[in-house]
Amino acid sequence: MTRRRRIEGQETRWRGLGVSEGIVVGRVLRVFNGARQVYRATLDEKDVEREVRRLRAAVRLARMQLLAIKARAEKELGAEHAYIFDAHLLMLEDRKFLQDVGRHIREDRVNAEWAVKVAADRLLAIYAEVKDDYLRARGSDIEDVTQRLIVALSGERHSYKKLSEDAVIVSEDLLPSAAAELDFEHARAIATDSGGWTSHTAIIARGLGIPAIVGLRDLHRHARTGDRIIVDSQQDVVILHPSDSTLEHYKSLEKRTPRTNYTAAEDGDKPLRTLDGKEIVLRANVELPAEYEDVRRFGARGIGLYRSEFLFSHKRGMPTEDEQCEAYIEVAEVAGDEGATVRLFDLGGEKMVAFGAELERNPTLGLRAIRFSLTHEEVLRTQARAILRAAARGRLDIVLPMISDVMDVRRARRIINEERVRLESEGREVGGVRIGAMIEVPSAVMTADKIARDVDFFSLGTNDLVQYLLAVDRSNEGVADWFRSLHPSVLQSIYRTIDAARKAFIPAVICGEMASTPAYAVVLLGLGATDFSMTPSSIPRVRRTIENVKFAEAQEIARECLECETADDVEELVRERFTEKWRELFPPKSLPAPRVGG
Amino acid sequence: MIERRVTVTNRLGLHARAAALLVRTANTYKSALRLERTDGTASADAKSILSVLMLAASRGTELLATAEGVDETEAISAVCGLFAEGFGEGERVDKA
Repeated sequence: MTRRRRIEGQETRWRGLGVSEGIVVGRVLRVFNGARQVYRATLDEKDVEREVRRLRAAVRLARMQLLAIKARAEKELGAEHAYIFDAHLLMLEDRKFLQDVGRHIREDRVNAEWAVKVAADRLLAIYAEVKDDYLRARGSDIEDVTQRLIVALSGERHSYKKLSEDAVIVSEDLLPSAAAELDFEHARAIATDSGGWTSHTAIIARGLGIPAIVGLRDLHRHARTGDRIIVDSQQDVVILHPSDSTLEHYKSLEKRTPRTNYTAAEDGDKPLRTLDGKEIVLRANVELPAEYEDVRRFGARGIGLYRSEFLFSHKRGMPTEDEQCEAYIEVAEVAGDEGATVRLFDLGGEKMVAFGAELERNPTLGLRAIRFSLTHEEVLRTQARAILRAAARGRLDIVLPMISDVMDVRRARRIINEERVRLESEGREVGGVRIGAMIEVPSAVMTADKIARDVDFFSLGTNDLVQYLLAVDRSNEGVADWFRSLHPSVLQSIYRTIDAARKAFIPAVICGEMASTPAYAVVLLGLGATDFSMTPSSIPRVRRTIENVKFAEAQEIARECLECETADDVEELVRERFTEKWRELFPPKSLPAPRVGG
Repeated sequence: MIERRVTVTNRLGLHARAAALLVRTANTYKSALRLERTDGTASADAKSILSVLMLAASRGTELLATAEGVDETEAISAVCGLFAEGFGEGERVDKA
């Protein structure tokens, strides 16, 4: 049916929703949901109990598969994303569901597959009625688990062969466990018929830094494994059977889009300079082991921010000293000569309730990050020992999160030094680490000149700084209009902090998402920032921008920005000046959008 | 039997992840635990994830939690604790 509509080699374009950024030219690999036809069979009375036992065996098999998937997802994507498989395990073993299935088998004398399907369909029908989008989308979890169970009943398992080098996964809807079972190293992009911004496909693709487009209607019915395909999430488009000219166009784009260009690492070997010769350093922010490869691939000069709290998991709790030490050595190895900066645990609030911490009314302003570590000294001591030991094996620095003033720095420093002395007296090998302060709380900005005398470097956490400075919770959509990264107060604070670092002759590294937007990076550059740390996949884009602008010109624009009254004024100024000076570098889409009616 | 009112405060509602946490917690107690929408449209066995998901409790939903059994006091406070802390979702804000 579909074959008739498809004309061989005819270029077709499919509009969807880009949920993870990037452009990839590759070949289709169709992945089936495993949604298989299930038939009804009537059983003889004597076979009913055997059927129930078959169901139980299938549940055990599916359970083992899920445990394996979960362990793998934890390792590759981090505990946060693996959580969903915990839900799957619970669904699989849901007493009510299994009772339901068992009852169907016994009362209707049907085969287990049919009983599972009937029970699942009834659940899904109820689910489809749910008014909440997010919750309705979770119906896919139920589908996933029941499919797995049906496959397990046949004694088979889902399997994904080794992918070819340029595989673009095309699927109707990539169920979460299928997504996690994929060969992460080779999947280059994902395109699915359904799904949304919050689908697991989207979350996993973003975690891996590969492009993904969802909502492509019935693409998967028209694509065949091996077909040429282009996924361009910047334009929200998938092109099947691209014509030669389209292909050429994208190949030249691909050359300039280093996400898919392995020569980015080679570029990374030569120092990055602005047009007028100012040297700029771009480092990587890293949390998941899956991102380590990207550090090299995108030519980062070491790791500027390692978010150590990702070592912590709800299930296993606090990692031991040895576990931590091992993880830090690995991070140092990944970072190479440039070294890695380990941010001490940014834990606190709700996360720690299970470990006896008090519930807080306002965790963002509560006992978290360095405050938590100073209160639970044993946590800080264990982490300090692990880092000091690992530093004997590679270059590591420590940055203290959420510093309010110089007292926090002194207390943390004292404890770290005590542990250093203790390790040495135990005859352990320790390495030299520099200690820096995260500047992200307004009080630290105001006293940055004082703090600068007690630390070896500053890291500016722009995300939290914006949130604390403007008193806006960025996860609260109700106040989204007040979250303005280009607010004059933000720019003033960054300028002031960089200035304090410069006067104390210490480096200041800009961390946080702000720097990964090229237009913002140029504003930060103008404010005096020369050292940035960002998501590895953003590095090539920012690098390209920086090598095409003059430091002096960025400074000029930044000076004007500092004079502005409102965030709107700053944004308008950025739009005007950037378009004037660098029209080619900054297409309108890359600049802050004008406010509607503003 | 103990009853207590709770409100879903986490942004994503009682979705799969939060529900998993709730069900795992509920299963560590002997008492029977139930959740009921205060608008009376649905009620759930807190030990069954499919049942909990079916509440379709999005942010702001008010629920009545009941526990009955030998450890009902501990059970209800553990469950209410999860709601109060928004199922640990607030942590998203702490990325540098």
